[in-house]
Formats: sequence, structure tokens, C-alpha cells
Amino acid sequence: MLVWSRSGRAFVWALFALVFTPVVLGPLAMLVIAAFAGDWNGVLPSTWTTEHFRDATDGTNLDSVVVSIQTALLAAGIALVVGTWTAIAARNAPRPVRRIADAVLHLPVAVPSVVVGLGMLVAFSDGPLLLNGTKWIVIAAHAVLVVAFAYATVSAGLDRTDQAFADVAASLGASPLRVLFRVRLPMLLPSLSAAASLALALSMGEVGATIMVYPADWRTLPVSVFTLTDRGKVLLGSAVTLTLLLATLILLTVVGLLRGKVEDRRSH
Amino acid sequence: MNAGATKPASAAAPPRPAASVEDAPHIAGAAETAAGTGAGVPAGPTPTTPPAIDITGLTVRYGQVTALEAFDLQVARGETVALLGPSGSGKSTVLKAVAGFLRPTAGRVRLTGRDVTHEAPNKRGIGVVVQNYALFPHMRVADNVAFGLRARRVPRAETARRVAEALEMVGMAGYARRYPRELSGGQQQRVAIARALAIRPPVLLLDEPLSALDAALRADLLGELQRLRADLPDVAIMYVTHDQTEALALADRIAVMRDARLVDLDATDRLYRRPPSEFTAAFLGAANLIPAQVVRDCADGAGDAQARVGALTVPADPARAFRAGETAMLVARPHTLGIEAAGADGTLPATLTGSQWRGATYRLTCLLDEPSGVEVRCDVATMDGVPALGQPVGIRLPADPCVLVPTGTQR
Amino acid sequence: MTATATVAAPAPNPDPPSTAPKPGRPHAQKFVNSLWILPPLLLVGGFFLYPLALVVKQSFIAKDGTVGLGVWRETVDSPQFTDALWHTVKIAVLSTAGCLVLGFFLAVVLAFVPFPGARLVSRLVDTILAFPSFLIALAFTFLYGTAGVVNAMADELGAGQPLVGFLYSPWCVIFAEVTFYTPFVMRPLLAAFALVPRDRLQVAASLGAGPWRVVTRILLPEAVPALAAGGSLTLLLTLNEFGIVLFIGAKDVTTLPMLVHAKGAVTFDYPGACVVAVVEVALSLALYGLYRFVFSRTGAARAGVVA
Repeated sequence: MLVWSRSGRAFVWALFALVFTPVVLGPLAMLVIAAFAGDWNGVLPSTWTTEHFRDATDGTNLDSVVVSIQTALLAAGIALVVGTWTAIAARNAPRPVRRIADAVLHLPVAVPSVVVGLGMLVAFSDGPLLLNGTKWIVIAAHAVLVVAFAYATVSAGLDRTDQAFADVAASLGASPLRVLFRVRLPMLLPSLSAAASLALALSMGEVGATIMVYPADWRTLPVSVFTLTDRGKVLLGSAVTLTLLLATLILLTVVGLLRGKVEDRRSH
Repeated sequence: MNAGATKPASAAAPPRPAASVEDAPHIAGAAETAAGTGAGVPAGPTPTTPPAIDITGLTVRYGQVTALEAFDLQVARGETVALLGPSGSGKSTVLKAVAGFLRPTAGRVRLTGRDVTHEAPNKRGIGVVVQNYALFPHMRVADNVAFGLRARRVPRAETARRVAEALEMVGMAGYARRYPRELSGGQQQRVAIARALAIRPPVLLLDEPLSALDAALRADLLGELQRLRADLPDVAIMYVTHDQTEALALADRIAVMRDARLVDLDATDRLYRRPPSEFTAAFLGAANLIPAQVVRDCADGAGDAQARVGALTVPADPARAFRAGETAMLVARPHTLGIEAAGADGTLPATLTGSQWRGATYRLTCLLDEPSGVEVRCDVATMDGVPALGQPVGIRLPADPCVLVPTGTQR
Repeated sequence: MTATATVAAPAPNPDPPSTAPKPGRPHAQKFVNSLWILPPLLLVGGFFLYPLALVVKQSFIAKDGTVGLGVWRETVDSPQFTDALWHTVKIAVLSTAGCLVLGFFLAVVLAFVPFPGARLVSRLVDTILAFPSFLIALAFTFLYGTAGVVNAMADELGAGQPLVGFLYSPWCVIFAEVTFYTPFVMRPLLAAFALVPRDRLQVAASLGAGPWRVVTRILLPEAVPALAAGGSLTLLLTLNEFGIVLFIGAKDVTTLPMLVHAKGAVTFDYPGACVVAVVEVALSLALYGLYRFVFSRTGAARAGVVA
């Protein structure tokens, strides 16, 4: 509908491929190749191996997988509750309060992750709440970093759902609690699952704040990858990165399945 | 809406017995039409000038789905042809193929003899107006109209002059500095028409241009289009619509389409007066179709043909040759029927089942006693003398013989 | 949770159901409603705003405990800092420009010159949004490193090693950031393009406009709000980017976030780190304010176009 001639289209597509292949496909392919490469001195590896993969899912690296998943689940959970709570509460608050809440909840997007980590170090290294040196400082940093995305997603979802449903439910005599759990939250399910997926994915890949605050016994996967590559073990690093992507994919699939299950039950 | 009234009486030629037309598909040539309709239409193409639009064997398929099947149509310079049909009948597909927006699977499109089948739309020089105006929202009205001229690198002064001229033509001269969002739907469509006319196209394609407007605006703009038609004596116009009122008001010829095929093609008044098929009769003017038996063998247009409906034998105007005893459909427009007391001489016995006041007329619905179960719609000016609902009535057929069309014309 | 539940009750309820409080409450009820927003706000305040405030405070307290502008003067005057600031801005601006150009081209092709598999490509682009950015940096070491694929290929073709040192140059960081952040520009663009009626382009073509003219005169103006939104977000994210720079590990390419990390987590110079952090946050917030401003304005203009 834009380029009408066959040759013109072919030219545009060739240009697209020329740009897309090195920029997007190339790097992704590299990672997969590297994860399975044995000896790599030429253009492509001369031998292949699954050894890196075994290493990546073993010993300290396996610990990192577990740590990453736990961190992501906890941080995403906290962010989802806080974000959803604020989004719903902000609807019924007076306008100025709402604007303040909106600004504050969006703010973490604009602050570099290393600065969030630095703030955690400065604030929680002594005093009443001593988090430094525990896993909680990592989880808190992750929760702060993803709460903005959870809030924004749920808030956008609320904008799309009609207030009339809640009003009708209330007019039918449903208590506010019932309205929340039977009408509002179920209607928000798509946004909630989107927010959860986004928060999980971001937390799994977080490196800036984590590298500032992580204690020795709570090393997430991205930090492991950095330590490995820093020591020159790039092939193993690739395998661990691939493991990270797989773990993220599994988490997101589980979220999708849970959502599907809830929707299934509803349609029956 | 009384469709018959929208066509000026002067344009209506008496139904001529078309001796040359072969049996089923009633498709008249362009030259015959131009001669037939007369009023306001320039002489048809002479053998030396090829038609403005010449479509042959046009077929469009998307995988298993056929959007258009072996479509043929010629539109002469200065002629208006309406493509009329329900949604999904393929009429917009024809327009898109002529404009070059889609690539036909088979067939040819020629513009004044030049084969453009595989030419890009920006090389064809056709004016296109679509249902939703498609004005460029970020440009002022004047820039919208100037768009095509700038694409052609027309000099500035000339562009300004032609923009003013085009806006003048559609009565939008005062709105040049406005943005499209500041205009009403009708005004936006006027600008869209001006934009298409500014490039002075020899061919203008209109795709349901009035469909997005409300009834009052639609009537208004329809009048405007009629005036424009008179101002553009050389432009060939193809007008896609599902609304018979627009087709009757504007077109010299109407091509009736259904299920990706051309069903009937003829001069507007003749197609209305003597519809060649059941589908066209029902679609164009919402005629009643009353099952009848042909009394004796008759030729197409035979003056002495007769048909039997229930116990009544009436004169008929056969749209093709029929054999005695054959079942056919009598075409009767609702406004030509009369309602009388039950049992009146020469009326069809029926039961009154519904009445709807439409302001100027009442739309009555009756169920025929015989053939039973056939519903007949009838428009009357007054309810005086009409029996109560549920009472028996007599339906008076028009004095002129009704057209007789073959049943189930599903081609 | 009862808290949120009360909040969920529609405030103006002229005909309250049996469970609703007695009349004369609207004001009190409204006040109570706004209270329920406090718990999450306090949490975010305690774990985000409070640490941020402490960072600002810390930047004025030297290691020996003296209060004043000493740390600031010392840090800002160092060539290390000015270098990092310059690199940060340069990399962010150039990456964003690259993302805008590339993202616009890719989005136009995906939306208007679709090919078989275009939907799959769109999905892939969406997936990249969920990837960690350091992944790109890691892949780049294999592609463009001294022993990387590109050099190996060139070697085999007898062209020597054209990319020596490229991996550790600012250009490689920019290239990597363009790769990673282009999807952030494409997504709003594809959403905007999905709303452009196809017949608008068809009519433009019928008026004689070739593809280039349609792109520059019709699509580009329509894409401005999406480009502004995606571009400012990308600028913000590239200013704050850490993972890519860290993983590429170029010695000469230090950005502000890298400096924060070096001072805070490697040499434990908290006051110095805090000064850099404050500058970085100020930069981001200024940009973020602009982004919100631009977005709300173009958003309004967009609504005007639609209405």
C-alpha cells in the first residue's frame, strides 16, 4: 500500500534484511552459537559442546538461577501489590493527591539503576533498618526499580476499563470489598498479568542496582555473567545468559498459563 | 424514499424492446446507453476513441476466496456508471483494481486505451474519493487540495489558482485555512472531492462517498454531486454504492453486482423499469416479487403476454422469452399497488398484517391468500377505506403490465 | 485489604445501597478515601525517595565529616568527571538519533510494506524489549571483538582485521545501544501506524505521490507524537544505561553511571559517588520532566486530531 512496484518492494525488503540481520538477528544468533561453542577460532566454532550448558546449570551457577528466580518473584510480587494498590487508590483520591502519587510512582523510571543501588547502600547500611549484607537489599532495590512499570501498566488498564461496571455492581448492593475482588480486579486481569510479566522480565535482567548492593551469598544471574566474562570465560557466560533467558521464558509462560487458567474457569 | 421520483422525467426514455439483447444477462453496451438515456450525456464514444475505462476479464482472488470473477465493464468519457450491490459483492474490489490499489489475479484495466493493469496508482492520474474522506489531518484544507498538484510539481501560482478553483467548485472557498478536524463530515467530503478534482483527472472513482454522512447531509451532497456532474462533461465517473437512491440519482448506467459477479448492466431508467432479474428488481427499488404462471408462450417484451396469479389473469411484460406454464415473478413496486375492500373485482385476495406510518405514505404489509405465504408491501397515501389489521383486503395491481422476470435468478 | 476495598466504592453515590454510610458523609468519605493511598506511598517514599534524599545529603559530607561543597568541587573539577559527562551525553544523543532513524525505517516497512513473516518479526522485536541490555554487549564481543566473527571473516577474505579496537570505542557502545533500544522506538511507532487508515495512503498515491513523498509528507507528520514519545524515553534510558557499558568494559568509555559504580562499589568513595549520582539524577529528571511535558502536549494534540 506504500511501495507499489515489485522491484521497489524487493529493494525495500532487501534493505530491511540488510539492517535487521546484523542489528537484531546477528547478536541473538551469536549468543546461542557461543553457548554451544567448543573451540572458536574462525568465523564459526570448529567444535561444539554442551559442556558450558552443564556448567551453567550446576554448582554456583545453579545457585544463581535459584537466587534470580526468588528475587524476581518477590520483587515482582511486592511491586504488583504496591503498584495496583496505588493505581486503584489514586482513582478515588482528590486530584492533587492523585497527581503526586502518579509522579512519585513514575519517578523510578527516570533514576538510573546504579543510583537506586547507591541510595540503598547509603540509607540501609546502618540505622534502624540494616539491610546491607542481606538478600533483602537486593529485593528492595529490584522492587523499587520495577514498581513504576507495574503501576503504569495497571493504571493504563484502569483507564481502559469502564467505571460503570463498578458503579453497577455497587448499585446492585455489592459491598466495596466484593466490588474490588469480584469486579475490578478480575476485569484488570490482563493488565495485572502484563504488569507481572514485565516486572519479572525486568527483575531477571537487572544488573545496575544489583551489582552495587549484592551480598556474597545472593548473587543473581546477570552478576554471575558479568563475573564470568570479566574473568574471560565468555563462552560459559553466554551459556549462563541463555539459561537466564530460558528461566525468564519459563516464568513468563507460567504467568500466561495462570492467567489462561483463570480466564478458562470464568468462561465455563 | 420513492426512487422513481429522483430521476427527472425527461431522462426517462420509454422502455424499448431490445431486440439485439440475447437471453439471460441483460447487458447493454456503452454506446447504446448513451443514446438511450439522452439527457445531459455527451455522445457515446466513436470507434476511434477508446473508452475512458475499459475493464476486461478482471478477476481478483485471495487464496481460496474470490473477490471478483471475470468482470467486464466499459465507461465512456463523460459517462457515470454506478456499481450497485450489497456489501461483499465485489464492487469496491473493482474500484481498487482500477485505482491500482490491488493487483488483479487476471484481466486487464485500460484507461483511454492505455493498459495500466500493472501500473502504480501514483502513475495513473485517477481521482479517488473514499467513504471516510481520508483527508490528511495535519494539513490545512488548501494543502490537502494542493497535495496532488505539488506531487506533480505544478508551479506555485498555478497550484494556488487551481486549489481556489477546486474549492470554489465544491463551495468550500471560505475554508482554505481550516484543518480537516474543524470541518463537519459533509464539508470534509467536499474537500476530499475538491482534492481529487484539483489534479483534473479524466477518471473519477467514488467509493461510497456519502455512506459516512447522516441523512440530511447525504441528500445535500447528492445534489452537489449532480451539479458537479453537469460541470464536468468530460470526466468518466465510476460510483460505488450500496444505496439505490444515489445510483438512480447520479448514474447513466448501473452495474448491479452480487457475489463477486456482475449481475445486470443497463441504462438506469431501463434497469429500474424493466429489471431483467429477480435480484435486480428486489435490490433496485425494493420491488415486490409475486410468483405467477406464464399463460402462453411469449417472446421478450411481447405485448400480449399474460400471467396468472392465484385466480387472477393479468397482462405482463416479459423480461425474456417464457414458455406456457413456466413459473415466473411479477415485479410490482410498492407505490404502484392499491388496497381495496376484500373481494373487489380484479384484485388479489390477501390479509392485512401490518401498517407503518412513514410520514408521506403508509407502508402496508399483506399476506396473499394465494400463493399463500407471499408477503406484499404496498405504499398508500391515506388509511381512509383501508380495513383494520388482520382483516381481508384486495390488492389492486397497476394498470400498466408488470414486468415478468425468471425466478431465482442466481447467476 | 479492606482498606483498598473502601477506596473502590464510587464516591458520588446518590442512592447508596444498604451497606453505605449515612448521609452527610461525602467530605469525610472523600478524606478517608484518600488516606488509603498513604501506605503504598509511604513504602515508595521510604525505599526510594528517602535513600535519594540521603544521597543528596551525603554529597555534601566529606569522608572526614566536614560539611560543605568540598566534595563537589573536587569531583566536578576532575577530568574523569567531565569526560564521563561528555561521554554520557554524546552516547545518549547519538544512540537516540540512531534509534529514531532505524526504528522509523523498520516500523514503516513492517507496517506498510509487510512481507510474509512480518508479524513474526514484530513479535521478535517485542521480545527484545524484555531482554536484559547486557546481552547485546555480550553478543557484540563475539561479533566485533578482535577475535570476533567479523574480523575472522575479513581475515579469511584477505582483508586483514578491520575492526581492531572497535569493540572498545564509544562507537561500539553507541551501536550496541542502538541495537537494544530501537525496539523502544518501534513499539509506539507501530501502534501509531496501526491507526493510520490505509485509504489515506491509497488516496495519496492516487493523487500522484510516490512512496518517498507519502513517507515524508504523510507518515512522518503522523509519526511525530510517537517519535517524540519513543525518542525521549530512549534518550532517558540511554542516559541511564549501565549494563551495556559495563559488559563491553571499554576502558576509555566511562559514563556517569559507570563512575557512580566505580566510586560507590569499587573504591567505596560514597560522597564522590553521591555527587556524580546527583548530577546524573538531575540530568535524567530534567529530561524526564521534558518527556512528560512533551508527551502530554503531543498527546493532547493527537486527541485533537482524532476528535
